[in-house]
Amino acid sequence: MSARKKKLINQPENILQEMLEGVVAAYPDIIRLTDDGLIVRAEPKATGKVALVIGNGTGHEPAMIGLIGKGWFDVNIPGEIFAAPGPNRIVSGIKAAERGAGVLVCVSHHAGDLMNAEMALELCEMEGIDNVEMVVLYDDISSAPKGSEPERRGTAGLFFVWKMLGAYAEGDVTLAQCKTMAEKIRDNTRSLAVALTPGTNPVSGEIMFELADDEIEIGMGVHGEVGQGRRKMCSADDLIDIMLPPIINDLPFVEGDEVLVLINDSGSMTQMELFILFRRVAQILGERGITVYKTWIGAYATTQEMAGFALSLCRVDDELKTLWDAPAIGANVRIVQA
Amino acid sequence: MSITSDDLKGMIRAITAAIESEKDALNTLDAALGDGDHGTGISMGFASVVDATTEAENPSDVLRLAAMTLMNRMGGSSGALYGTLFLKAAMHIKDKARITPDDFVAMWQKGCEGVAQRGKSQLGDKTMLDALSPAVDTLAQQISTGIPFVNALNDAATAAEFGAESTEKMQAKHGRAKFVGERAIGHRDAGAQSIALMFRAISNYWKDK
Repeated sequence: MSARKKKLINQPENILQEMLEGVVAAYPDIIRLTDDGLIVRAEPKATGKVALVIGNGTGHEPAMIGLIGKGWFDVNIPGEIFAAPGPNRIVSGIKAAERGAGVLVCVSHHAGDLMNAEMALELCEMEGIDNVEMVVLYDDISSAPKGSEPERRGTAGLFFVWKMLGAYAEGDVTLAQCKTMAEKIRDNTRSLAVALTPGTNPVSGEIMFELADDEIEIGMGVHGEVGQGRRKMCSADDLIDIMLPPIINDLPFVEGDEVLVLINDSGSMTQMELFILFRRVAQILGERGITVYKTWIGAYATTQEMAGFALSLCRVDDELKTLWDAPAIGANVRIVQA
Repeated sequence: MSITSDDLKGMIRAITAAIESEKDALNTLDAALGDGDHGTGISMGFASVVDATTEAENPSDVLRLAAMTLMNRMGGSSGALYGTLFLKAAMHIKDKARITPDDFVAMWQKGCEGVAQRGKSQLGDKTMLDALSPAVDTLAQQISTGIPFVNALNDAATAAEFGAESTEKMQAKHGRAKFVGERAIGHRDAGAQSIALMFRAISNYWKDK
């Protein structure tokens, strides 16, 4: 394993706490940090509305601490670096989020996230806290074949769920309706990622995986989980020609569909590269008669300084388009267009 | 003979020391298949367990506090699985001031069942269960034949080490390692290795006692 890349931290064991203190100090009007380490809205949602909660390993910023606020989620339970928070902490998050209409616990499908959320729901049941539901979300087509979608893992495409479910839960809707909406967005979303160079684990200082200088890996997970397709480095257009058709064919997205497109930077891509990549995405979608409704290009779910990106498509109808266009005010991720 | 809460605390200190000294090696194993933090996470978890269990009076409380600390301090799948292991064990010896070797065997058996259920895993899936299950089976078998407790623990630790080694030939069915596919073969599962370290530390505690 190679040594640490240059990284500006203080003591490795203080990374999480210092990051949390920094983000709430930077955006005190949007979020605050509770004594038990939860990120909550500075101004809670009105009573009588469904609350949205998510726990996740940290290290993927701005996900999810940047996605707490009006139009996004209500409470984030940040775990250790790349490790889901434990069940007691998730229960604390559920209690902190409750606004009288139930709590939906969203789980980005990874073994640790799922096990801890399941245990948290068991603890809630033991404590007599009802009106809590869980929804498991996934989008990565490389992690399990078509037909085994529930075995797929959650990656950057879940951003579509965070945004549109967040908007939906600001309205007068029930817990059951929120869960159905989360599933609807999930079931219309497909993603595929590629890694060019690894990130480093900020605690251990080790690079997260080995990849030769002239190699890329298609299907890389958000924690450096090894994908299935190592191949030689290629041009931006060639890479999109490899990655986009399997995404389109998986749902499948067909002529006449309207889609949201996300190109998510894993941590150290340039805007220039991302736009060159999107240019080719737009060309292919155009050739196939698929209309791009809106695009979202930038770093939203990262893996430290990993170079690479995830390409995600979400098919939208009028209901979803309205939800996408609703304002969302998170710490450093904001959507204000009408 | 009986096993007291002080023994359990002594075993936890021994496990903590063993994990701490192998932390980097566990990280390296995990890096091949996961995100390379198993050693860091588990050493941090057990270090907190030592503090959390200092005041615990009965054996069940020691294990229950260990479980809650591991779950909430480590998080991730390791926290959930190690937490479940200790929690199920604690539940089995609830309210006992002292535990017998038979209780000790049975509590690990309950813990092992809990891990399999929580992780929806089976033997051969390249998980911690591949070290845990043979260790617990060996312990049960040796205790039932009446060999001394310290020898039975030594055999259990050896079984765990063989179990951990056997994961090198396996393809993973769960967690992040699943996505490596055939490339997992040749790499040892970090969770199985930490279980082997745990049983060896427990065995050494009784040898040195």
